[in-house]
Amino acid sequence: MTTEPAIRPDAAGLASPEWGGFDMARTRGRGWPDVRRSFTTAVRLGWQMEANWTDPVLFFIYSVAKPLASALILVVMLDVISGGAKPEYRAFVVVGSALWSFVLSGVSGLAWMILDDRERYRMLKYIYVSPSDFLAVVFGRGVARIGVGAMGAAITLAIGVVFLNVPFDVSRIDWPILVTVMTLGVGSILAIALLLAAICMQTRQESWSYPEAAAGALFLVSGVVFPLSVLPLPVQALGLLTPLTWWVEGVRLALFPGGLTAIGGPGSLFTELTGTAGPGAAMIVLVLLATGAMATLGALAVFRASDRRAKDRGLLDQTTGS
Amino acid sequence: MSGIVEPTRTQPLAIDVRGIRRVYNVKPKPVVALDGVDLAVEPGEFFGLLGPNGAGKTTLIKILTTLLLPSEGTARIFGFDVSRQTKQIRRIMNMVAGGEQSGYGILTVREQLWMFSQFYGLPSRDGWNRVDELVEAVGLEEQTAQRVSTLSTGQRQRMNFARGLLNDPWIFFLDEPTLGLDVSAARAVRELILAWKAAVPGRTVLLTTHYMAEADELCDRIAIVDHGRILALGTPDELKKRVQRESVFRLELDRLDGGAAALRRLPGVVSAALAAGDQADGGAERRTVEVNLALVDDGALGGVVGALGGLGSSILALRKSEPSLEDVFVELVGRGFGDESTDDDHTADAANGAADKGAGNGSVPGLRADDPNVTDTTDDAREREAEAIR
Repeated sequence: MTTEPAIRPDAAGLASPEWGGFDMARTRGRGWPDVRRSFTTAVRLGWQMEANWTDPVLFFIYSVAKPLASALILVVMLDVISGGAKPEYRAFVVVGSALWSFVLSGVSGLAWMILDDRERYRMLKYIYVSPSDFLAVVFGRGVARIGVGAMGAAITLAIGVVFLNVPFDVSRIDWPILVTVMTLGVGSILAIALLLAAICMQTRQESWSYPEAAAGALFLVSGVVFPLSVLPLPVQALGLLTPLTWWVEGVRLALFPGGLTAIGGPGSLFTELTGTAGPGAAMIVLVLLATGAMATLGALAVFRASDRRAKDRGLLDQTTGS
Repeated sequence: MSGIVEPTRTQPLAIDVRGIRRVYNVKPKPVVALDGVDLAVEPGEFFGLLGPNGAGKTTLIKILTTLLLPSEGTARIFGFDVSRQTKQIRRIMNMVAGGEQSGYGILTVREQLWMFSQFYGLPSRDGWNRVDELVEAVGLEEQTAQRVSTLSTGQRQRMNFARGLLNDPWIFFLDEPTLGLDVSAARAVRELILAWKAAVPGRTVLLTTHYMAEADELCDRIAIVDHGRILALGTPDELKKRVQRESVFRLELDRLDGGAAALRRLPGVVSAALAAGDQADGGAERRTVEVNLALVDDGALGGVVGALGGLGSSILALRKSEPSLEDVFVELVGRGFGDESTDDDHTADAANGAADKGAGNGSVPGLRADDPNVTDTTDDAREREAEAIR
């Protein structure tokens, strides 16, 4: 039996604070400022949870070593298969795999937040029954993970340039395109992440692997490390409907103008449909905007439906174990 | 299934539940967790839901805290509908559950509480001030910079209470808050609840518990729940009187010639029996005799006392026996809290139990529930607490 410190009935904390008490005005929220506060608090919470600086080795392995190793494996494979890959192929592979670590972190972040908070920390129900905007909290936690993924992607790119002779010239970067496609791309990643979070809200603890599985499937159809033209036409069509395909293409175009395209080229569905060798910057932005908007709207609808179903079935505080 | 529902009133009820039914669609057949519950709790009341595991207590609390939708019926918190006006409700209520190890282990106590103050919309500085006040109130000053993962179970529950009080709730939902705590920690939690309630008149508490002594000690009114229904509702005294059809006394006498049979012949005596010890050893080694006496009412006692004088007996002690809430429960349900349900009840109990505390409650992350190394902390905790209360 522990010795418990005494409760002080006269403690100030037990009385109502100035802003508290039985004032009906307290039942009304402040709208956008409340949403913003929920979001920024969740970002801060997420950053503290995801970037576990107290365990730098673990952080390094997941955030830097893993994506870097993946990129190196692909580059070495490419060199072995092709007997010495051209620098532009290396750029193609390094950019693709660097961005993919970003995608993996992003799409996993929201779903893992749901599973971790519900089953590991058992705090999801307390967040849910607070007046915070639940969607803003979920997004905030995801943003933190995207930030961690971005660090890994930047380090992978830097190592590709310094050690793998990826031809990179800062003066040739198309900054407006880069900023535009990155903004739209992050939005699309969050949309896909939200979709997976909605699915994981309905599933058991073991479903932490679902986001990685989904990211793996998208990896195949998004032209990340090989052009779409090597895929069967129906799979190419699927790839063209995925915003990530256009995002990766846009980033490549912005960083390495005139480089290889993953979308067009001989044998590609895109070239067959449009008669052009590859998409231009304007088309990339427009299609990314359109597919990203569709993904976002779809994800929001699915998340709302999942939220409602979880509340109906009592899934928000379930602990399924594993 | 009763409650005080007044047709006209200016101030809304703290809790106004009408015809709530909750069905879980599980295989092999749907389970009715709540079966048409009506309940009215006035602002300022300390209201208890008392019932065994799987009775539907937590299902009701989850509905009232906007965590779960009812299948049928309506529920309002201070006039706000739990299905449609969730934001309003969430700003003026809070909840704490027991028997779980919740919290972001990597954060310090202060950080975690401040995070939640932000989720409740407090400006940052107000949030820190409120956290410091509450940390002091719950007696966690020395743990503020400590990581949540390093807190003891009792300290963690104090932190949960601090979180639950951050928004100065009008109504505080407590779902078995002393579950899993040792005697000292459970007592501290009860003191904290009472101190918070007493600090500002009008604060409302809804407590679910299966500890009868806890409900008896804390609650103004109690609803006894079983199998999704409210079986009885009233103050603890009212509930006890329901089962007290006779006046029961225990008498300690210097002698009793003629034994208990001599008492049974007296007017107004329903039954009389020697206390168990006296029956077992025949009272041979005892210098006094203890008798359990049931009378038709208190008025019959005078006649018995007079008659005992006539029998040559002197009364050394006289104590009136009050029924306990457990007696009430046994009377209503036909079984005690610890007794097994019938086979037909098991499905409902399992579903409610899962809903009540989560299917994996008490399990250790990363280990299977059937792992011999996993302790069912819930059962252990219940036994410890029951013992503590006894």
